Amino acid sequence: MSTDASNEVRLAAESAASRAAHSAAEVAGQEPGGPKSPRRKGLSERNRPLWMLIPGGALMIIIIVVPLLLGIYMSTLNLDQYTLRKWISSPFIGVENFVEALTSSPLLHATWLSVSYSLLAMAVTLPLGIAAAVATQNAFKGRAVIRSIFLIPYVLPSFVVATVWRTMFQPDGIVDKALGAVGIEAGLWLNGPQTFWTLVLVQIWASWPFIYLLALSGLQSVDHEVHEASALDGALWWNKLRYVIFPYLKGPLALAFLIGMLHHINNFTLPYVLFGVPAPADVEVLPILTYVTSFQSFRFGLSAAMAFVSLVLIAIPLFVYLRAVKLDDAESPGAKK
Amino acid sequence: MSTSTAARRSTATADIPRPGSKRQHEVLRLLPGPLLTIILVFLGALVLIPVFYIFLASVNSDIGVANGEFWPSSFSLENYSKIWTSVGLATGLANSVLVAGATAVVSAALSVSTAFVLVRYSFRGRLTILRGLLALQSVPGTLMVLPVFVLFSSASTYLGIQVIGTQWGLFVTYLTFAMPFSTWVMVTYLRGLPKELEEAAKIDGASNLGVLFKIILPLSWPGIVVSGIFAFLLGWNDVLFASVMTRPESQTAAVALQIFGASQEGGAIPFYGQMMAAALVCAAPVVILYLIFQRYLVGGLTAGGVK
Repeated sequence: MSTDASNEVRLAAESAASRAAHSAAEVAGQEPGGPKSPRRKGLSERNRPLWMLIPGGALMIIIIVVPLLLGIYMSTLNLDQYTLRKWISSPFIGVENFVEALTSSPLLHATWLSVSYSLLAMAVTLPLGIAAAVATQNAFKGRAVIRSIFLIPYVLPSFVVATVWRTMFQPDGIVDKALGAVGIEAGLWLNGPQTFWTLVLVQIWASWPFIYLLALSGLQSVDHEVHEASALDGALWWNKLRYVIFPYLKGPLALAFLIGMLHHINNFTLPYVLFGVPAPADVEVLPILTYVTSFQSFRFGLSAAMAFVSLVLIAIPLFVYLRAVKLDDAESPGAKK
Repeated sequence: MSTSTAARRSTATADIPRPGSKRQHEVLRLLPGPLLTIILVFLGALVLIPVFYIFLASVNSDIGVANGEFWPSSFSLENYSKIWTSVGLATGLANSVLVAGATAVVSAALSVSTAFVLVRYSFRGRLTILRGLLALQSVPGTLMVLPVFVLFSSASTYLGIQVIGTQWGLFVTYLTFAMPFSTWVMVTYLRGLPKELEEAAKIDGASNLGVLFKIILPLSWPGIVVSGIFAFLLGWNDVLFASVMTRPESQTAAVALQIFGASQEGGAIPFYGQMMAAALVCAAPVVILYLIFQRYLVGGLTAGGVK
C-alpha cells in the first residue's frame, strides 16, 4: 500500500515539483533556451519526421489560432444577430466596441468581480490545500482512502458540482436548515448581493484539492536528511514546518497560485450552472458577461471586444507562468540541474 | 510485499531506522497527532457531507429536498428510472460517450506522435511550440466560443458543410482544445523514457514510424491512457461549447442536466430528486475512471495543471 501511495505522487513529484522547484530561480535568472539558442544535445537532427506535427498543428491552427484572430477582427465590427450571417461585410467601426465596453458596459465591474472572487477563493484554498498535504504526507492507516476522498471535489465535473450546490443553496434548502439549527439566518444565496459569496464558497469547495495536489508534490521533494536534521535539532513541529518544510513548497505553490488564478478567472461553467443566465449582477464575472453579451443580447462585436479585454487580463498570470515553467528537461542548454 | 521486504531488511540491520518503524515515523512527523486528526476530520467532512447528501437527496422526495431534509423521510429509487426521459439523459449520455470517447481516442493518438517529434527531434521553433502548448491551455473558452461558432456557421454558408448542431462540430472542437494538454502530458511522459531502446532500434534499421509503433507505443501506454482520459474529461465536462453548438438531439449530458436544472425555476417544486440522481449518473463515469487510473492521473493533473 505504501508503495502504491508513493507511486501515486511520485509522478507528481517528478513532473511538477522538480519543474516548479526551479521556477523561482528561472524567473529571476535565465530562460532555458529560445528558438535561437544552441541546439539541444542528444536530439536527432537528421531524418526528422516533422510531418507528424501536421495533423495536430493544423487542428490547433484552424480551431484555435484562426478563431482567435477572427475574434480580434470581430471586435472591430458592428456585429449583431442581423449582420452575423454575413459577418465579413458587416460595418467596420474600429475601436468603438472597446470604448463602449470600457465606458458604458459592466465590463470593469465584471473584471473587478472576477479578480476579487479569484483572489478570495485562492486565499482560502491555499491554507486548506497546504493543511491537507501536510496532514497526508506521513503514512498512517487509511491514508490511501483519505487521499482519494480529498480529490473527489476536484474530479467531479463542474456542472455536477454547480447543480448540487444550487440545490443545497435553495431557500429553505439543506444549507439554510443547517445554519438555522445553529441560529444563523443566512438569507438568499442564489439571488442578490450574497451570490458573490456563494460563488466564492463553491469555488473553494471545488478547487482546494488542486492546491493540495501541488503542495503534496512539493512535500515529496523534501529530502529525508532534512527531516533528520530538524529532528536532531529538536525543532518543534511549528518551527519545522515554518522554517524547514514550507520553503520547499514555494515553487509548487507559486505554480498552483498562477494556474489556480487562471482557472478561476476562466471558470464559466460554475457561475453559469449555479445562477443561470442572465446572472445576478453580483456574479456577472467576465466569462458570464462575455457569454451573455453574445448569446443573450446578440452584441457579438461588443462581446468580442470584452473577450479581448479578458484575454489581456489572462495574459498577466499566463506570462508569468510561461516564464517560470521549465520547457525542457535538464539536458537542454541553460537549464539548471 | 513491501512490508515483508521491510521486515527482512530490518532484521538484517536492526540499528538503522527503516521506513515504517517507530523512530522513523517520529523523524518524518510533521504535525502533532490531535491537530492531524482535526484537519483530516474537518476536510473529510467538508468533502463527504455534500457528496453523501447527493445520494440521500437522489432517493428523497422533491418536497423533502425542498424542505431541507438531510435524512430522507421517504425512500424511492423512482428518480433513477425517470431521468432517462425527463432530463433527456439517455440521449445526453449517448452523445457524451460518443463525442468524449472519440475525442479521447483521436487526441491520444495525435498527441503521442506530436510529443514524440517534440521530445526526440531538434528543429527550429521546437521551444516555441512547447511554449505555445502551455499558452493554448489557458486560452479562455468564452473567448473562443463566438469565433468558433462563426467559423463553423461560415463553413455551412460558404462550403455547404453543416457543422453546428452536429456531434462533429463538438468532436472537432473538443479534440482541438484537448490537444495542447494531452500533448503536454505525453511530452512529460516521453521524456521519462530511456532513449537507448530507440537508438538500438534505429541501429537495427527501424524507421521513425517503426520506432514510434514498436518502441514508443508499447512503453508509453500509461501516458497515452492519461492523455486520453484528460481529453475525455474535457469533452464530458464542457457546458460552454455544447450549450451553443448543439440541438436537442445532439445535446451532451452536461447540457441536458443544465437545461433541466434551469427549467425548474418558478412554479411548482422543482424535481430536485431527479436533478440529484442525474448529477450522480453524470459524475459516475468520471469518478470511476479516476478511481481506476488514480495513480497515473494524479501525476498528469500536476503535469500541466489543467483539469
